[in-house]
Amino acid sequence: MKTRRGPSLTLRLTLLFALASALVLFLLGLLIGHAVEKHFEEQDMELLSGKMELVRHILEKSNGPWPNESLTHQLDDALTGHHGLAVSILATDGRTYYSNDANAFSPDLLKTKPSESGRPLKWTAGNGVSMRGIAASYATADARTPITIGIATEISHHEHFMHSFRQTLWSFMAAAAAVMGMLGWFVARRGLSPLQTIKRRAAEITANSLDTRLPTEAIPRELAELTDTLNGMLSRLEESFQRLSDFSSDLAHELRTPVSNLLTQTQVILSKNRTVDEYRDVLASNAEEFERLSRMISDMLFLAKADNQQIIPNRERVDLAEEARSLMEYYEILAETKRLRLSISGNGIVTGDRLMLRRAISNLLSNAVQHTPDDGSVTIRIHDDAPGEVRLIIENSGETIPAEHLERLFDRFYRADSSRHRTTEGAGLGLAITRSIIRAHGGDIHVSSAGRVTRFALLIPT
Amino acid sequence: MERALKILIVEDEPKTGAYLKQGLSEAGFVVDLADNGTDGLHQALTEAYDLTVLDVMLPGMDGWQVLQGIRRAGKEMPVLFLTARDQVEDRVKGLELGADDYLVKPFAFSELLARIRTLLRRGNKSKEADFLRAADLELDLLRRRVTRAGKRIDLTAKEFALLELLLRRQGEVLPRSLIASQVWDMNFDSDTNVIEVAIKRLRIKIDEGFETKLIRTVRGMGYVLEVAD
Repeated sequence: MKTRRGPSLTLRLTLLFALASALVLFLLGLLIGHAVEKHFEEQDMELLSGKMELVRHILEKSNGPWPNESLTHQLDDALTGHHGLAVSILATDGRTYYSNDANAFSPDLLKTKPSESGRPLKWTAGNGVSMRGIAASYATADARTPITIGIATEISHHEHFMHSFRQTLWSFMAAAAAVMGMLGWFVARRGLSPLQTIKRRAAEITANSLDTRLPTEAIPRELAELTDTLNGMLSRLEESFQRLSDFSSDLAHELRTPVSNLLTQTQVILSKNRTVDEYRDVLASNAEEFERLSRMISDMLFLAKADNQQIIPNRERVDLAEEARSLMEYYEILAETKRLRLSISGNGIVTGDRLMLRRAISNLLSNAVQHTPDDGSVTIRIHDDAPGEVRLIIENSGETIPAEHLERLFDRFYRADSSRHRTTEGAGLGLAITRSIIRAHGGDIHVSSAGRVTRFALLIPT
Repeated sequence: MERALKILIVEDEPKTGAYLKQGLSEAGFVVDLADNGTDGLHQALTEAYDLTVLDVMLPGMDGWQVLQGIRRAGKEMPVLFLTARDQVEDRVKGLELGADDYLVKPFAFSELLARIRTLLRRGNKSKEADFLRAADLELDLLRRRVTRAGKRIDLTAKEFALLELLLRRQGEVLPRSLIASQVWDMNFDSDTNVIEVAIKRLRIKIDEGFETKLIRTVRGMGYVLEVAD
């Protein structure tokens, strides 16, 4: 199945990086452009307000009625040498007292009456020249005719400068953004190189090399957690895999011996004519062996189901003492042949599967009876004093089991005493089954062995 | 001589089918074998059988369908089904559909035989006798007493139950697993030789000192109580 993948991390990081730098550069460009423009505006403003003062001064000094020759002269004189400076003096009724460049003004400037502190207006004059100007009201001495003074200066040279400045600025910015993007790509690749290492290592792992671990040295902290998690997963996989493979080989081994016995025996008998009794003997012995194999297969199936959480116990009231007593009655027959003392004490009621719990206890009891030396004792004690839990303890006398065997006792096919004869011991699945049953009931099982007493403790939730 | 009982086996695995047929024929039954579900159902409905042994996994029509067909036609004969799948749901399903018993493969032939006899006996329950007898052995069910040749034999409760089982099913080979489950309520396989020991003890009490031995071991099969001819 082909899965849709997201874009590569490098590409994503590169794009994000490029986008972020482009944004920053763009804002920076706007700021610079604005600052330069502001600077020009202030420069113009200084010029314009200076001239405004001058015009006011001249107006104050000259006598009306306006317009007159003298005022025109004075103003012309004052304004000479200032290229591109336009001045208009208008009466409110629309009459022009003075104007050195009638085309230069935008009618808006002179109609509205911006305060002197207000920002200058900017416009394009009739002849296509960019202008900036201010306007102010002026009250004459007699205060009869308020007049408006407009002063404007040509700013085309500023505009030209700004235009080329912006062009240069933006092309620089664009180039910078491109460079940043490339740097971003490089950085992302560098930064992600540990991922490549991990990927390469992970690609090498197969079922045969589950002991490989992802590199943890020189891995950035953010990835260290990931690699630790993955390594943990590998460890668990390795363990399960190992157990599975041990189990398969154990199983094969356990099956090989009886099957090979059966085969040899059958072939030997077939190689010659035998008496009926001889045939019967062999067939009977085969039948016994087959029965054992069949039991082993059933047990294996039970365990396989338990592994897959397919064992779902019934929930019924189970009187542990009653079940244990009934099982003891069964094993008493064996116990008597070894002169073992069997005893039981305590009481406990749990909710669970009666048949399964019986089987669990039976396996332990059978185990205990078989491993207790003659004249020994097997004791069952049931404690129900802890809330929500009943403890069933089976103790038997006999040799102390070394600690290294204890923890493996519940493993399938594990036999602490390898010299013990196979037929009397069963397949070595009993304790594994007991544990599976108890766990399926949400309980647990522990074993301890000290001072020539071996003790199994079942903890079963009530 | 009563009429031979007829059994239908529906089993698709040829080897299993052949051995079941041979085994049951030799046990005194008249046996027919069908190797698929469709034929099996047809035969079950057209001929009179006392019991059907039905495999669950069958070509054509599975065991469940055959069983349903049999019950839908109103046939009440006991049906024992064989399943390779040891699933609780399977058993429940089979029993719900009207099967009378089930066995999980692999099973011991003696176990199958014992179960078949139990099912067949269920139908004609005569009045429970107060005494069970074999040769000069007598078991008094009311007074819980056993005598042989008039001599009182002391048995424990379990020994009494064991002997009762053997007597009730005289001449049948009883597998260990059946004895364990009937006498000790041990419904799972156990690797121990408890039954062997129990039988040995019972035999000492019942047979020792008498010329006719009643309890016999059939190697690889189980135990039988019978009066030798």
